[in-house]
Amino acid sequence: MALRHSLLISLLAWLAVVFPSFSQAQSPSAPPLVFLAKHERWQALLHWNQGSTLRNRNKSYVADDDFFLSPHGKTNALKELEATVAALEPAESPMRCRFPARYRFLAEQLGWPMAEAFDHCEEYRAWREQVPDNQAVLVFPAAYLNSPSSMFGHTLLRLDAADVEQQGSWLSWAVNFGAVVDDEASMLYIYRGLAGSYPGYFSTVPYHTKIQEYAHLENRDMWEYPLNLDHEEMQWLIDHLWELQDIRFDYYFLDENCSFRLLELMEVARPNSGLLTQFRFTEIPVDTVRTLIEADFVTTEHYRPSKAVELKTLSDSLTVEQRRLAKRLAKTPKYEGEDFTQLTPSEQRRTLKAAYELLRYSQRKKERDAEAARKSIQLLRRLSAYEKEVNIKPWRPEPPESGHGTKMFAVSGGAHEGRGYGQLEYRWTYHDWFDPPRGFLQGAQIEAFRTKLRYNRENQLKLEELGIVDIRSLATRDAFLKPISWYVRGGLERTAVEGDYATATYLEAGPGLSWEWRGLRPYTFATARVEHHSRHQQFIEPGAGVTLGALWYAPKDWVLGASVESLYFARESLRHQAAFTLNVPIATQQALRFEAKHQTWRKGHGDTEVGMSWRYYFH
Amino acid sequence: MKKILLAGALLGASMSVSAAAPGGPGCGWGNMLFEGKSGLPSHLLATLVNGTSGNATFGMTSGTNGCDTSGTLTYNGSSLLSMNGVLEEVAHDVAVGEGEALTALSVSLGVEAEDRAHFNSVLHQNFEAIFTSEEITAQEVQQNINAVLSQDDVLAKYSA
Repeated sequence: MALRHSLLISLLAWLAVVFPSFSQAQSPSAPPLVFLAKHERWQALLHWNQGSTLRNRNKSYVADDDFFLSPHGKTNALKELEATVAALEPAESPMRCRFPARYRFLAEQLGWPMAEAFDHCEEYRAWREQVPDNQAVLVFPAAYLNSPSSMFGHTLLRLDAADVEQQGSWLSWAVNFGAVVDDEASMLYIYRGLAGSYPGYFSTVPYHTKIQEYAHLENRDMWEYPLNLDHEEMQWLIDHLWELQDIRFDYYFLDENCSFRLLELMEVARPNSGLLTQFRFTEIPVDTVRTLIEADFVTTEHYRPSKAVELKTLSDSLTVEQRRLAKRLAKTPKYEGEDFTQLTPSEQRRTLKAAYELLRYSQRKKERDAEAARKSIQLLRRLSAYEKEVNIKPWRPEPPESGHGTKMFAVSGGAHEGRGYGQLEYRWTYHDWFDPPRGFLQGAQIEAFRTKLRYNRENQLKLEELGIVDIRSLATRDAFLKPISWYVRGGLERTAVEGDYATATYLEAGPGLSWEWRGLRPYTFATARVEHHSRHQQFIEPGAGVTLGALWYAPKDWVLGASVESLYFARESLRHQAAFTLNVPIATQQALRFEAKHQTWRKGHGDTEVGMSWRYYFH
Repeated sequence: MKKILLAGALLGASMSVSAAAPGGPGCGWGNMLFEGKSGLPSHLLATLVNGTSGNATFGMTSGTNGCDTSGTLTYNGSSLLSMNGVLEEVAHDVAVGEGEALTALSVSLGVEAEDRAHFNSVLHQNFEAIFTSEEITAQEVQQNINAVLSQDDVLAKYSA
């Protein structure tokens, strides 16, 4: 330590001659600004891209002139440092109030005074006084997969006051990085989200608004991970947050997103954490959780079930008869039939609560309905007549970070009509129906860029499949909830086109129904498909059909699936397929998959394929 | 100190009941019970880019309908009850006698930890006096809660 220090000083003496910025060194032992400009904290404070993502290499990510004190600040960290030193040094400098974390950094490095440094900053001090600063919590609203836009989840930060255990987190602050969108109805919405043309800002709102948004309205489970930032690190985080007020970034859905910005905040609080050293094409929220766990930021985790899960738990605790009663009460809140009055008070209360929750569940996303409001308050009035009771806690699922990695590579071998083949497969992201379900939502699948290259006995290497997107959502129906399942997939695949194998471009989608009984999920889909291949007479060949199938989520994370599918095209040709899949996990990140399928087209023409693959998951 | 400030700001505790709604007309105080979708953020926006429409807020005023949000650094006289969706959650918690919304309400009123169980039970017993109709507004609920608290020996000190 002492050796490094003295080396620094001698370097300083030498460099002072070479670089003019050295003349600004504040005290004899202060490190020179050229060194400070490369300091991890300074780079973190400027949101410098040191090679973490594609765009803005060796520049600041910030897309806002107000953030920089030097006209060259976005591209030159040293110039920005010099300008900051000049602007923040005067005791009454208004810029100190704008950049308290930068001041803190300079005070620490150059020996500037901290006492009374912000006495003239009334606005900042009033805000700072209000910010809860005892603990930061990483919050992950998991995906609700019947809702495609939530698909990868989200991350935000929560700031808690000291007595959060007793007072609850409703009044904590949520710190959110998100796009500010002005054209929601526009068809360009998704494109603009991907292409970064929406501005991204940090905002703070009461945490209960986020609970309502995710857990109540969107029915997404929320996972909360308290972080072990100490008092000092919290100061850095909060002071820097102030510097980001009304500061514009560009929002990119894939990489420069909510999760990436949170990692940057963590680097400000705790530099050298190595959170941003690796290059990434995407920052997927669940991987952000993993990254912070692996870097020892996370102490524990807390599960906050969604309203849908709470309702399911309540419903599961009722008998079939009580469920029927609850539905009746939701329609006729004053119902006093003997089948209700004969229940124990505790059963009556639970049935009334289910009726209320069911009614609100159906109303929550609608405009206010006077009739439903009247029924709601009648149910609450009846409910309030009963003694308080301990609620049944929903079963806590495995946390999302315990799941398999979201990228996948597979090697397989098999036989097509008795002729052997070998195959390589790569999936960019995320999870399919049969992959080990731990940490994922059962019956939900999202895959993007699934690529299969097959090598056959004729020594030909062929693109078997390029699945650009493949989303399937089995939303199961029960006594209370009647959601519609759906799927959509599109890309290139080798299939029997007009009776011969060829690579066709396709897009396929349809609505469906599904149910659940002890891990078994039967389902059915209606299918609409458009296909393009030069062999078709029309440029686009439309088809329609139906699929029947079932999934079984067996013990030990084994998943079995069977399905039959029929597809009829506009001009006479047809396709039938029967498929069977078994997936067996052999380690956290490995699984074996067995597949068999039989296809027919025209009358009496068909073939059979069996295969086995070794799947390796990573992130 | 901080707690007292919060308590005052959050529930407009010292506000006389006939005073105009703080934060300007239509500032969430007119929110009715079971407000539904109109009081909650848009779905698509909230998901893909985790977005907000309009300006990103940086204080704690967001979440109320039609509030004057100048001076975004405080609750700006707006009440917890007037925030979107809160009234419904409080009504539920009062009816069952406990819950996060009720806890948050007691904290915002400055109710000390040792009085909270009593606070919950008094509100629970007075559900009908507080939530008199499905058309009730946040402001009226606040008045009714104040009235209930003022009639309880222990809780009277927390009423306006």
